[in-house]
Amino acid sequence: MKAGILNLGLRRRYEQVVGGLRQDLYRYALWLSRDPQAAEDIVQESLLRAWRGFESLEDADKAKPWLVTIVRREFLRFKERQREETMDPEVVAQIAEDAADPRVQELRTAIFRLEESYREPLALQVLMGHSTDEIAGIMGLTQGAVLTRLHRARDKLKQAFVEDGMAVQAEKE
Amino acid sequence: MNRLSQEERRQREAIVGDDAQFEALLENAFRVPAPEKTPAKRPARGHWPTMVAVAATMVLAAGAWFGLRTVEPVQAVSPLGPEIIAHINHEPAALAVSARTVPDAEFGDVLQRGGASVRAPIGRVSYAKLCPFRGQMVAHFVVQGEQGPVTVMLLPDEESSGPSTFDENGFKGTIVPIEGGGSMAVVGQPDEDLEVIRDRLLRAVRWKL
Repeated sequence: MKAGILNLGLRRRYEQVVGGLRQDLYRYALWLSRDPQAAEDIVQESLLRAWRGFESLEDADKAKPWLVTIVRREFLRFKERQREETMDPEVVAQIAEDAADPRVQELRTAIFRLEESYREPLALQVLMGHSTDEIAGIMGLTQGAVLTRLHRARDKLKQAFVEDGMAVQAEKE
Repeated sequence: MNRLSQEERRQREAIVGDDAQFEALLENAFRVPAPEKTPAKRPARGHWPTMVAVAATMVLAAGAWFGLRTVEPVQAVSPLGPEIIAHINHEPAALAVSARTVPDAEFGDVLQRGGASVRAPIGRVSYAKLCPFRGQMVAHFVVQGEQGPVTVMLLPDEESSGPSTFDENGFKGTIVPIEGGGSMAVVGQPDEDLEVIRDRLLRAVRWKL
């Protein structure tokens, strides 16, 4: 019974820590997998794993990189099981078109088309707010490599935004 | 393939040349719509994501658990509290915010099959179901408190030596004996005045065993 009471307190603390991050974890999983259903599955499994290991998290301030790492590992497991790329152009187009601003739509499409090695660090920085140092830790890269990828990712997006904007629109039509 | 007009291209070059503008667009692009709470695919029972979706339910149920412990210290190891928690945990729909009112006939049917009836108004009932609990089918319903949904379980086979309340860590629950035997679990929001609801229910609920 006492264990149960302690467990309840832990669950409340978990909910406090995780609650505000759940949506961004989903977004991160979506940008990794490019598949909304896969993203949901990844996040669910990740939250289960996070709960099981929550007692080991001593510092709540480290919850975000800890959770991101769990989601990332779960995505890698997912990818290993999938073996094949599963991006559905129609689904991706729907997600892109959900934005009211056509420029945002175009950028979304361009991000989806980025190689994973560029897409992921950018998502970690822009979406999750991680520093380059944290991204390096999460992805197992040097900080220099992260900076290079971030720079190239932005370059690619800017180029697509300026050069291919209308091309993207024409393709959608 | 269409290309940007000169003017459009100049505008876009200006945007990518302005870090603040481009970063704002980029952040908007990354913020795709996300499910607010519960993902579409439900996990297996007992998995944490289910618990996430019904965390509030569990928290409320904990009040009843603690309440029972307070009332009956000699039953400190009673399995009832955890089982109430587990039961409510498995019915997340019960505490979902709902404008639905269970029709009187439907509510009456649940009560009857749970061996009970009400002889006075108890307010809007948003959920009512006959549920298995410790080997018995019991009436489980939700009424509306001042602060939100209040879960009620009528437990004909669970004896309680006296009314008790519990209030700790912001949770509140109570289990009270019912005239004629058995007990009633009432679990609500931390700042809910459970006693008002409890007393109203005690006046209204009768066993029809």
